[in-house]
Amino acid sequence: MENVLNKEIKQIIESCPEVGRILDEYGIGCVPCSVGSCLLKDVVGIHNLDPEKEATLMYRIEKAIYPDRNVAKPVIDPTKKSAPKKITYSPPVKKLVDEHVLIKRLLALIPTIADYIETSMKVDKDLVLRCVDFIRTYADKYHHMKEEDILFKYADEKAEIIQVMYKDHDTGRGYIRQVVEGAEKGNKAQIKQNMLAYQELLTQHIKKEDEILYPWIDRQLSTAQVGEMFRRCNEADASVGEELPKKYEKFIVDLEEKFLQEVTK
Amino acid sequence: MSGCPGSRTIDFSENTAQEGSETGKRPSQLRQWPIQMHLVSPQAPYFQGKDILLAADCTAFSLGDFHKDYLKGKSIAIACPKLDSDQEIYTEKIKALIDDAKINTLTVMIMQVPCCFGLAQIAKEGAEKATRKIPIKQVVVGLEGNILSEEWI
Repeated sequence: MENVLNKEIKQIIESCPEVGRILDEYGIGCVPCSVGSCLLKDVVGIHNLDPEKEATLMYRIEKAIYPDRNVAKPVIDPTKKSAPKKITYSPPVKKLVDEHVLIKRLLALIPTIADYIETSMKVDKDLVLRCVDFIRTYADKYHHMKEEDILFKYADEKAEIIQVMYKDHDTGRGYIRQVVEGAEKGNKAQIKQNMLAYQELLTQHIKKEDEILYPWIDRQLSTAQVGEMFRRCNEADASVGEELPKKYEKFIVDLEEKFLQEVTK
Repeated sequence: MSGCPGSRTIDFSENTAQEGSETGKRPSQLRQWPIQMHLVSPQAPYFQGKDILLAADCTAFSLGDFHKDYLKGKSIAIACPKLDSDQEIYTEKIKALIDDAKINTLTVMIMQVPCCFGLAQIAKEGAEKATRKIPIKQVVVGLEGNILSEEWI
C-alpha cells in the first residue's frame, strides 16, 4: 500500500475508477480535478477525516486496488458515533472566509444578471462593468491578493492544492477579460457564457477553500504565525482604506435590491 | 458531591494509567521574571511584540507538559481570577500589553472550573478596551491535566 500512497491520484483513478467513486462518497472530489497530481496520502491527509473514517476509507481503497489481497478490516465500534467535525478558523483566516460571503452574494445573482443581459434590447454595459469592477477590485485585488501575497506563503506553495488555487484565480481573470470584451462588442452570448463560467468556477473554488484549504493551512500555523498573519492582513486592509469594503458591500445590496425585485416581478 | 467545583475535594491518585516517559530531563522554558500579573510591567522588554501566555495559577501544576507544549516561545503572566484582588488592574495591564507592548497574540489558559472563566473575561475586557486588535486563544485544561478545548475567541 505504501507505494500507492505515494502515487498521483489521477494515475490511481485512471487505473482503478472505483477509487474515484469511493473518494466521492467521502466528499473528496478528485475525479473532476483538471490537474490530479496530488499524492493519495496528501489527498487523504488534507481532508482531516476522523481516524475511524480514514481507516475505513484506506481499507476500501486498498481492497479496490488489490481485490485478492488479504487486507485486515478496521474494527469500528458501532456504538461510537463520531460527531461531524466543526470547522473553526483562526482570526485572520476567518476574515478571509467572511469576505467570501460577499463574493458568494454576487455569484448567486449572476444567473439572473446573465438572463437579464440576454433578454435586454441593448447590452447594459454599465451594469456589466460595475460587476467586473467588483470582481476585479474586491474579489481579486482586495481578497485574492491577500491569499496570494500572505496566506499561501504560510503553506508549501509547491503543494498541488495551492497550484490549483493559483490556476483558478488565473482562469477566473481570463473569464472576466472575456466578459469585458463581450461588453465592448455588445456580444450578449460572450458575456453570458463567461459570467456563468466564472460563477461555476468561483463557487467550487470558494467551497474548496472554506472546507479544505483554509482548515489545512490553519492546522499548520503556530500561534506566532497566526498573530503575524493577522497583522499583515490588517496592514493590507489598511493600505486600501476602510471605505473600499463598505463601497462594495453597498454595491451588492443595491444589486440584490434590483435583481431580487426582477425575480419577484 | 456539592459545593463550588473550584474547591471541591477530588482524589485521582489511583489514576496511574496515563502514558508518558519518565526518562530525559526537560529544561525550563521560562525566560523572564517576575511572572505574577500584579508584579509584571507591560513595559518589560520580554513582552514587547511577543506571544503572551496568560495562565491561571493552577494550569501549570495540572498540565504535565506545560513548559514544552505551551510556555515555549512565549512570555507569561499568571493570575487567579478567584482569589486575586484588584483585578481591574489586570484589565488595564492587558490593554497596555496590546496597545503599548504591541504583543503579537494572547493565549489565555484556564482550568475547567467555572470561576476560572473569569480570567478569560478579564482578557476579553482588556482586549475590547484596546485600540489594536490581536488574535486571542482560549485553552481549557481539565482537572486531570487533559486539554478540553483550544480555540480562538
